[in-house]
Amino acid sequence: MNTKLAITRPVNWNKIEDPIDLDVWNRLTSNFWLPEKVPLSNDIQSWETLKRNEKLLTMRVFTGLTLLDTIQGTVGAAALLPDAITPHEEAVITNIAFMESVHAKSYSSVFSTLCSTDDIEQAFRWSEENPYLQKKADIVLGYYRGDDPLKRKVASTLLESFLFYSGFYLPMYWSSRAKLTNTADLIRLIIRDEAIHGYYIGYKFQQSFNLESAERKQEIKSYAYELLLELYENEVKYTADLYDELGLTSDVKKFLHYNANKALMNLGFEALFPKDDCDVNPAILSALSPNADENHDFFSGSGSSYVMGKHESTTDDDWDF
Amino acid sequence: MERTTELAPNEVISRFDNGELENALSYHELNAMINLWNAEGKMQLEKDKMAVHKYFLDHVNLNTVFFHSLRERLDYLVEHEYYEPEILAKYSFEFLEKINDFAYSKKFRFETFLGAFKFYTSYTLKTFDGTRYLERFEDRVVMVAIALADGDETFAIHLVEEMISGRFQPATPTFLNCGKKQRGELVSCFLLRIEDNMESISRSINSSLQLSKRGGGVALSLSNIRESGAPIKKIEGQSSGIIPVMKLLEDSFSYANQLGARQGAGAVYLNAHHPDILKFLDTKRENADEKIRIKSLSIGVVVPDITLELARENEDMYLFSPYDVENVYGIPFGDISVTEKYQEMVDDPRIKKTKIKARVLFERIAELQFESGYPYIMYEDTVNNANPIKGRINMSNLCSEILQVNTPTTYNEDLSYNVIGKDISCNLGSLNIAKAMDGGNLADTVETSIRALTAVSEMSDIQSVRSIADGNARTHAIGLGQMNLHGYLAREHIHYGSEVALDFTNIYFYTVVYHAIRASNLLATEKKSSFDGFEDSKYASGEFFNKYTDQVWAPKTEKTADLFKKAGIAIPTQDDWKKLAKLVMKNGMYNQNLQAVPPTGSISYINNSTSSIHPVASKIEIRKEGKLGRVYYPAPYLSDETNEYYEDAYEIGPDKIIDTYAEATQHVDQGLSLTLFFKDTATTRDVNRAQIYAWRKGIKTIYYIRIRQLALAGTEVDACVSCML
Repeated sequence: MNTKLAITRPVNWNKIEDPIDLDVWNRLTSNFWLPEKVPLSNDIQSWETLKRNEKLLTMRVFTGLTLLDTIQGTVGAAALLPDAITPHEEAVITNIAFMESVHAKSYSSVFSTLCSTDDIEQAFRWSEENPYLQKKADIVLGYYRGDDPLKRKVASTLLESFLFYSGFYLPMYWSSRAKLTNTADLIRLIIRDEAIHGYYIGYKFQQSFNLESAERKQEIKSYAYELLLELYENEVKYTADLYDELGLTSDVKKFLHYNANKALMNLGFEALFPKDDCDVNPAILSALSPNADENHDFFSGSGSSYVMGKHESTTDDDWDF
Repeated sequence: MERTTELAPNEVISRFDNGELENALSYHELNAMINLWNAEGKMQLEKDKMAVHKYFLDHVNLNTVFFHSLRERLDYLVEHEYYEPEILAKYSFEFLEKINDFAYSKKFRFETFLGAFKFYTSYTLKTFDGTRYLERFEDRVVMVAIALADGDETFAIHLVEEMISGRFQPATPTFLNCGKKQRGELVSCFLLRIEDNMESISRSINSSLQLSKRGGGVALSLSNIRESGAPIKKIEGQSSGIIPVMKLLEDSFSYANQLGARQGAGAVYLNAHHPDILKFLDTKRENADEKIRIKSLSIGVVVPDITLELARENEDMYLFSPYDVENVYGIPFGDISVTEKYQEMVDDPRIKKTKIKARVLFERIAELQFESGYPYIMYEDTVNNANPIKGRINMSNLCSEILQVNTPTTYNEDLSYNVIGKDISCNLGSLNIAKAMDGGNLADTVETSIRALTAVSEMSDIQSVRSIADGNARTHAIGLGQMNLHGYLAREHIHYGSEVALDFTNIYFYTVVYHAIRASNLLATEKKSSFDGFEDSKYASGEFFNKYTDQVWAPKTEKTADLFKKAGIAIPTQDDWKKLAKLVMKNGMYNQNLQAVPPTGSISYINNSTSSIHPVASKIEIRKEGKLGRVYYPAPYLSDETNEYYEDAYEIGPDKIIDTYAEATQHVDQGLSLTLFFKDTATTRDVNRAQIYAWRKGIKTIYYIRIRQLALAGTEVDACVSCML
């Protein structure tokens, strides 16, 4: 473990050492949300229109996501704490950890709204038994338990920016076909968070990385690509296992390439997959935008664009009429 | 890029070399591409035309039931109980053929993928199993026209002409339901009072279910209901207030939907001086407890002038127990002008009161608007001062554009009616401003529209809620709206909110109100009947007309004058108004209310319009609805030339939107749905300032607050147009 914690400093938000900490903190807190805000029950009718195998796929995808968010909330983000450079970074990471737990709980809201207890239990059992999903968890957990802080950050960025997306694909796919749109809203809120998490951890990685010797840089970089490839190989199998039945595997793979490149970009490294392998289905790509600019219809959903307001009192001048 | 208005889908395709691309992608994917830059960093608007084409080839044409002739089609649809035979029976078959040919001769084409997709998903007649289409756009238009014209052939042709040209578009319930055998009602919108007794509360829930089942949204006023902790049968601390009523209503609306065509939707309004006001607002809190959290019910606050004045002085505002107020004054709290009686009620020891800081209320409202977009606001005194009808307006509706007077209903012990009061329904339809100007005969367009809306009112008789049926029969209230203002301005190279734009808005609405009243007067003359209470209105006294007869209304800018001249549309003169005033005072008006400007969601997509009279939310709008999923909608007439005139609503900011609405508001007897748009850098103070500015400018209601948050730099999706525009 890092020795930095030997001296505990009180966090002084009036003295910001890295302005990105404050930016990200502000963004994360104004993005705060809870799953109860999304009227998931409006999706029940739509859920009933899915075929048996489509339902099964959806439930499995969500248990997979639940597992990843559980890791990230309980182990992942916590593993990054000792490496924090500034006290503000610690604050941001605790926020990240908390939101990951909110995400993990969100999937449960989806389950409890749409599925029966039996179905839920079966899906969870599947997640415990699926070799690729378990391997994915093992790989990431292994690196979180490792003792190299830079490597831990690499693992975390890859999780946030890459591993989630084989799962995110499906709700975006449904929503582009007018299915489960409220669930998609909820997932888009999660994506909105994960985009920032991946970006932030990647940024912190780059800060430390740039201070390292050329030799060590090379080591870390090779490590990052190796880990990515290891995860990718497993991810491809996981994807095929899930999506083959609906014939979506090749489309999801492009999406994986796109996000793998995005993860590398967050780490400050060059893209791995050529552009041609990343031409993601435009309906998915457009749906992915983390901008909160959807013009939703209030009567069928709550949308994913509202944020916590910044409070500022009016002054007498404002009321001068 | 050029406008391809005149091209049929199959002609459009020949203009693309890229047939390969079209083959490879689905219509959804092509449509999504307009939200992404191409390799050269340019917008790909042509992809949307390809999406329309592909949608027809791959989906619509394959799933449309084919008939050899009109006769075969109509026989089939009547026999299988898709169409109402009574409607067709009012016309000869020769005429039906003629009107059908007339509609198809207009060569209607959908301009956007969303327009076509929305029409086929939500409006057109489908087989009962929901798998195949039985109507094209032309068929729907003809069916609406002949249903509303009720046997009048000339009127039916007029209506087809106005609808197929896009000048007049009936609201969703009318356009969706007309002529269908299995259908909901033709009216969009209902407003119900609730009185402070259990009979009225339970009847309101029943009425909400009934109305929701038949289509449209229901708004209810909660202002009269006693607060939590108020006495029941004189025993203190008994009432549980308004929140449980809201819960019951929310669940009722979730349960009832219009044959699955439309999600049930409801709104509740509460006076700012009701003791439960803060609890009411807190139901929309992000971290509200599940027991009090309200997700899908919309909320609105009725704000009298006194509240703003107290806030100006930074004073406390008193909240009054509706139970005591009704006991003291003998009329329900909602029917009291709080502004007028404020001091009197403060001084009256019989009325229990609590107090909060007035500014805190406004700040709380703004905070919630950030979190949830709610509440709506209705400026009660502004609304009542502008109301030409005798009585009091104490609430609005689900879209905050309906503003009409109401009266209470009372019940006997067995829940039967004692006195049937007047509740509100309103059927709507909107003009496409660009098309109405292009048509060159605004007088006719408005008259035909007013007649169509009146026909809807006459065809509606909702017996399950007698106060609604009676209210409609007595008032024939309608709401003519407007849309595509921004589209028109951009096409004419005018910036939204500029001097010319405000001038145009003023003169356009000024011209519309003249023709609307003229049409209603014609109807009264023909039918020898006026709305109930006409004699007590400011129309009958002539007072309403003073603002038009005492001063000259004319364009202030050359550009506006030119636009009207070019279109061949005459602007009513002072003399015209004097003549009209005389006619109205002599022969009356058929409709108690004439105009209301709704937010126009769905119908503006079908009509290729920008929504209502507010600016576009984005050049490429990302639209999400339950039934559609996520679809991308390019602004009408968007091109390299009009690009700079399509600043979006967030860029334009609240002030210019309020200025624009203020110009229109002075000519509209009811309200206008005014959405305010803020970037996420705004604070609650900015929202409060906009509310104050709107009130000062005479705005009647504020609808949603929308907040746009852009992605944190570094997290955007590559090549995403909506991130950069």
